Amino acid sequence: MDKMLRNKKAICVFMAPGIILFTLVLFIPICQSVYYSFCDYDALTAPQFIGLKNYTKLMKDSTMMTALKNSAFFMVFSIVSQLLFGLLLAGLLTNIKKGRNLFKNIYYLPCVLSSAALGLLWMFIFSPKLGINQLLEQVGIEGPLWLMDTKGTIILPMWVIAFVALWQYVGQSMMLYMAQISGVSTALYEASYIDGCTRLKTFRYITLPLLRPMMATAMSLNAIGSLKFFDLVFNMTEGGPNHKTEVLATHLYTQGFKYFKYGYASAIGVVLLVLCLLVTFLINKFVKVENYEM
Amino acid sequence: MKKKKFLSVLLAAAMVTSLLAGCGGGSGAASADTSGGGSDSAQSSDSAQADSAASGDVEEITWMFWDDLNATEDLISLGYKDVIDRFNTDYAGQYHCTPITTNLEEYYTKLNALVASGDTPDCFIVSPGPNLTDYVTPGVAADLTSILKDENPDWYASFNGGMFDKQTYDGKIYAVPANLAAACVFYNTEIFEEAGVEVPTTYTELLDACQKIQDAGYTPISISAGTAWCLSMLVGYLCDREGGPDNLDAITNGTGNWLDPTFINAGNKMVELSQYFQKTAAGDTNDVATAAFYNGEAAMLIQGSWVIGQINGANPEFEDKCGVFQFPGIEGGADPNRIIAKTDSFCMSSTTEHKDAVVALLKYFTDETAQKYTAEVGGKIPVTNVEVDYDKAPKQLSYVMDILANTTGTLGFYNESLASTEAGSAFDDAMVAVYLGDLTVEEGFQQVQDFYDENVN
Repeated sequence: MDKMLRNKKAICVFMAPGIILFTLVLFIPICQSVYYSFCDYDALTAPQFIGLKNYTKLMKDSTMMTALKNSAFFMVFSIVSQLLFGLLLAGLLTNIKKGRNLFKNIYYLPCVLSSAALGLLWMFIFSPKLGINQLLEQVGIEGPLWLMDTKGTIILPMWVIAFVALWQYVGQSMMLYMAQISGVSTALYEASYIDGCTRLKTFRYITLPLLRPMMATAMSLNAIGSLKFFDLVFNMTEGGPNHKTEVLATHLYTQGFKYFKYGYASAIGVVLLVLCLLVTFLINKFVKVENYEM
Repeated sequence: MKKKKFLSVLLAAAMVTSLLAGCGGGSGAASADTSGGGSDSAQSSDSAQADSAASGDVEEITWMFWDDLNATEDLISLGYKDVIDRFNTDYAGQYHCTPITTNLEEYYTKLNALVASGDTPDCFIVSPGPNLTDYVTPGVAADLTSILKDENPDWYASFNGGMFDKQTYDGKIYAVPANLAAACVFYNTEIFEEAGVEVPTTYTELLDACQKIQDAGYTPISISAGTAWCLSMLVGYLCDREGGPDNLDAITNGTGNWLDPTFINAGNKMVELSQYFQKTAAGDTNDVATAAFYNGEAAMLIQGSWVIGQINGANPEFEDKCGVFQFPGIEGGADPNRIIAKTDSFCMSSTTEHKDAVVALLKYFTDETAQKYTAEVGGKIPVTNVEVDYDKAPKQLSYVMDILANTTGTLGFYNESLASTEAGSAFDDAMVAVYLGDLTVEEGFQQVQDFYDENVN
């Protein structure tokens, strides 16, 4: 291995595919969209440099404010809920003896299904003529407009979508935590039991501290994933009614692909990128990670 | 050592090629996917031609449309499928057309993505109005004037008068219409009889009728606010009945204001009518709302006459009890005989390398067979001077033709007659918000006015 690392050619050859791919599909497009964000660009005629105009317009855009609010809600909701439910499920599943694999697969299943299909499925479930409301009607309850209600700061459709996202992705957090838990030496647990720990205490004083590094990773993944979240929102509400469920990614999509405002959409993209970087930085800074011998 | 080096180079090469193959496979799959949206059966029957296409003898063109030609029950869409099949059979070995299909809601988004990536379909459907302007201004749609007037004068002469008005910019024609539809009120004659209601001719009579129908235990009006343009079409009618053509003209040339009393009155009337909508109107899609009408749950449906094909395709027995009347006038308002009309129009890409093939295809959409089908089966109004046997045609079409005979003028959908597609969406969104009670009528129109102040005026 050491010999291999001294061989510069080998290093180049092995790194090349990754670097080329990264440059082509990520770095160049990011630079391009940063440039376009300073332009008036409709993708059909050449971009025209207009300085910060797109950004000043963004500050005054009420839909952008709604999208920022919704995305922030979405991020906080998923970080907290995924952490709680992911840990809970992981904790439960590592402690049961029978059917662990079965439940693991069941909880993880929505993760591997297409979000577009799931979005449609849940849209049907929440649509007034087909799903839940029909069931509620059987017992004499008039269900709310799950995807069209507009009352409150965080409107009902956002809660509904956030719930569906939790259902879909909690399996992923659970898997991450389970992987980490299975790496904890059984000797530690045995020692704690000998010292008289209950299962709950073991979880609190041994499992949780040792899970910290994974929590930071899972939280950053959740934060970035929920900031750029698109598919469920687009398939369930398309940002409507009246842009009330718009998130950053759907606003970007509408402005770019529906109205041909690629310059403006790029500016939204840049804001999104900066937010993702910022959130990752903050999480890594404030979630303290200590490495223990396991 | 040498062996190891060789092995590492080999592995790296394998990685790179597999990556490249991955990319290549991706784009190949994507193109297969776009064509796959179209007609599987047509493709299987045309597989021989597709093979010959691969050999390079056949000119391959793409045609983009907003309905799945295989899954649809809509008779007009099925008519388009026939046109494509006839074209591919008649021109076997010379031209071949592959449909790219999406659903209506995502149509323009996908078309725009194709245009932006330089893969504009050779021929595509566009609604006249700001949507068409979006493709005319940047030069995506080809100028068809000389093709129609100089190269094919007979074809041009076969069209009825005024058919190219909405497709013409500065005297140049950018799209070919294939059929015309008019928005009317479709009603269930059985429910009307049961509730003892006559066809209303004024807004007050409409309100009375709604009340009586509701008392008889039926939903008076089925409408979709989930599909915003359906609700905004009703508001468009009310705006026109209140203020007539001056309303839109004033908005277009910047002298009018969305807070003018005619618009506010129209908004108030929509709110007044909304108590007679089905309970689930807020979330129902257009298809769900239409189904509620042809399944006999609701008495009235305010819709374009393209819905005839959808109604009769889904529930053929409904044809006998389906009447049609003109959207009622408002007492003290403007001319009650104007009607919302819209054509299906096809553009040719300005970058197509197969101009002749596209023109041949466009002729198929407007030839005698297609136009007769349009009226006699699809229930829409032909655009050429073809002789139609109205006895064969759906009954609703003759009612629509009667209404059209008395109209004094046509207007487009409100959301398709504004400054841009985004302005149209702003109007739609505001009207849905008003209906949901999220905004008052004044606030709703203020939102549209704000959009105009910031982006248009």
